[in-house]
Amino acid sequence: MMTQRRQSDALIVGAGASGAVAAARLAAAGFEVVCLEQGDWTGPADYMSDRPEAELAWVERWSPDPNVRRGPADYPLTGEADVRPVMYNGVGGGLVQWAAMWQPLLASDFRVRTLDGVSDDWPIGWSDLAAPYGRVAREMSVSGLGGDPALPELDPYPNPPIPIGRIGLAAARGMDRLGWHWWPGANAIASRRHRSLQACQRRGTCMLGCPENAKATPSLTHWPAALAAGAQLVTGARVAQIPLDERGRARGAVYVDRDGVERLEPAQVVILAANAVGTARLLLLSASPRFPDGLANSSGLVGRRLMQHPYRTVAAVCEDPLDSWQGPWGQSIYSLEFAETHPDRDFVRGAKWMVMPHGGPMFAVAEYQEAHRHEDFETLWGPSFHRAAAEVFGHAFTWGIQAEDLPEDHNRVVLDPAVCDSSGLPAAQIEYTVSDNTRRMLDFNVARAVEAAEAAGAVSTYVRDIWPTGIGHVLGTTRMGDDPQGSVVDRWCRAHDVANLYMIDGGVFVTGGSANPTATIMANARRVVDHMIEARASQEVPA
Amino acid sequence: MSDSGPTPDQRLTLARLADVLVAEGLGMPAASAVGVADGLLDRCLDAAPALAEPLLALLDEVPADDLDAFVRGLAARRPDDFAILTTTVVGAYYLSAEVRELIGYPGQQPSPLSAAAEPEYFEMLERVYDRHPGYRECP
Ligand SMILES: Cc1cc2nc3c(=O)[nH]c(=O)nc-3n(C[C@H](O)[C@H](O)[C@H](O)COP(=O)(O)OP(=O)(O)OC[C@H]3O[C@@H](n4cnc5c(N)ncnc54)[C@H](O)[C@@H]3O)c2cc1C
Ligand code: SF4
Repeated sequence: MMTQRRQSDALIVGAGASGAVAAARLAAAGFEVVCLEQGDWTGPADYMSDRPEAELAWVERWSPDPNVRRGPADYPLTGEADVRPVMYNGVGGGLVQWAAMWQPLLASDFRVRTLDGVSDDWPIGWSDLAAPYGRVAREMSVSGLGGDPALPELDPYPNPPIPIGRIGLAAARGMDRLGWHWWPGANAIASRRHRSLQACQRRGTCMLGCPENAKATPSLTHWPAALAAGAQLVTGARVAQIPLDERGRARGAVYVDRDGVERLEPAQVVILAANAVGTARLLLLSASPRFPDGLANSSGLVGRRLMQHPYRTVAAVCEDPLDSWQGPWGQSIYSLEFAETHPDRDFVRGAKWMVMPHGGPMFAVAEYQEAHRHEDFETLWGPSFHRAAAEVFGHAFTWGIQAEDLPEDHNRVVLDPAVCDSSGLPAAQIEYTVSDNTRRMLDFNVARAVEAAEAAGAVSTYVRDIWPTGIGHVLGTTRMGDDPQGSVVDRWCRAHDVANLYMIDGGVFVTGGSANPTATIMANARRVVDHMIEARASQEVPA
Repeated sequence: MSDSGPTPDQRLTLARLADVLVAEGLGMPAASAVGVADGLLDRCLDAAPALAEPLLALLDEVPADDLDAFVRGLAARRPDDFAILTTTVVGAYYLSAEVRELIGYPGQQPSPLSAAAEPEYFEMLERVYDRHPGYRECP
């Protein structure tokens, strides 16, 4: 094995949402930072989103499912799971492909055990994230409207909200008639030129890469500043193990480079930001005589309590033209009407809803066909094929409904005993079942969303069952907590078992909430690295 | 895709299968009439090359007659192959400029946001604010 350079102050594994926040902040504070990322840079030259073939990109090259995309940086996700995770592996991580919906957690999300008697409370509360939420929203050029009464007060967003468009207006009218909560969506998409972003041009291809550079993604928002401040980003570097020294501290990371050469990158502090699947996998790969069940796993919780926000959709077909292929493909409006526990319902916690366009004709027809897949061949194909486009295309909006799935030990990431990635490392095997609580929650919310669509004047609706592939939200596999026996990291996201090892991705979530998670992942990463910087400044050695 | 791409026979077979799936109707042309098995197929396979191999293999096993039964058999018993076929046909069909015009789709074109427009929803939003009990207080 080759040892790289001299020891850096902080080594980050993963250049995605949380890794980018940490690199930029630590480098600006004078830390010597190295980041190892298994993937590559992705930029406008790789996007197909300004070509007429954009929708076909989703079939393969831009599929969010690594098992379909099979890029050189992707590792297989195996196993029988009710919902299989999706992700993007490369500089920017999931934020290369994300829809940029920006949604802080509810205040109650941090106190689920106290309030609802299930799951656990977080060791931190909403107020610990209030300031970091504001800081990362500015870094991400978020466009949105403050003042949502369903949330505690937030710093004003740096940009005004994106107009909600015809789809949002139609949906909002329905919610207004029913007296239900809705609010204009916040999105990390610039409604005007801001910092490194250009103004959105409504192309609607946000999840295929934004050709206008209007959607926030770390290669625009964080990496230029991090690199300018001296951070080093090594791409094509797949981390295989976190080795320990004789005192039980992390020595750095062993990685396999593009040529298959194994290298050791030494560091004082190691920060894992490889997402809830990748970080759990890496800890399990790093088993040693001292930690036979996986690094930092004395609690037995590494890989467990995987949460994914099981997802269903209700499409509302209206008579009026809604231009529903137009973007952005973030959230036009959202609703938290059914996000909290209610004593009259047969489930605990709730779901968040958001209104989205339907994309181009291929997507719109595919959604329609999927929702009607149990019907006769004649209903969907032959001369009837055109019915879907005639009725739906340009006339529909979608309520996406994401459920808060409770953390359950048996939903987990383990190492696949047989299948390996291209570097010969065991694949991540996913074991995940959708609980009865979640199914009841989704059934209830889908029924309410059909009512909301009808109140919006929909002439018809169609409903999709739980999506078998996830929506890119992976959480909970290295939870934080004060008790070393019941959690993997402490409230500062430092491993209870290894003094200089941190985890800052979505794995540290104690519960998942129903909010799209990235605002919280980035705010928490910011909170943690700010603490490291303060600790060093006050001569306390963080590690 | 094999170096040579689909053979003329494979294109002919695809055109016939495609018309079983996307027939003429509701003022819209059939798939073969807009060239789903010709230039549009090439564009489709160029954008999603992984479709090519399973598609061409599938086309080679299509019987000379009763295409209707063949396609229905795929739909009922071979969902993966059916998905390859329908993704290709539907994907190529909606690349057609003629089809796009007929359904009123300009493509994912840029069109600037009009940020200056006073949001029409302002009154509705006031009502949300007025009726909401506020977020759930936490200890
Ligand atoms: C299609 C899609 C749409 C989404 N839309 C939204 C949305 O609208 N709103 C929202 O809030 N969230 C959304 N998400 C989720 C969002 O992308 C994730 O929450 C976020 O990216 C997670 O950040 P992270 O730092 O935990 O990990 P990631 O961003 O996933 O980054 C992890 C990085 O680590 C790297 N890595 C992993 N293992 C290794 C290793 N062994 N060695 C080296 N590198 C490694 C990976 O290659 C990757 O780049 C979406 C996701 C997808 C896929
Ligand atoms: S809608 Fe806006 S953010 Fe999305 S791809 Fe188009 S320009 Fe980019």
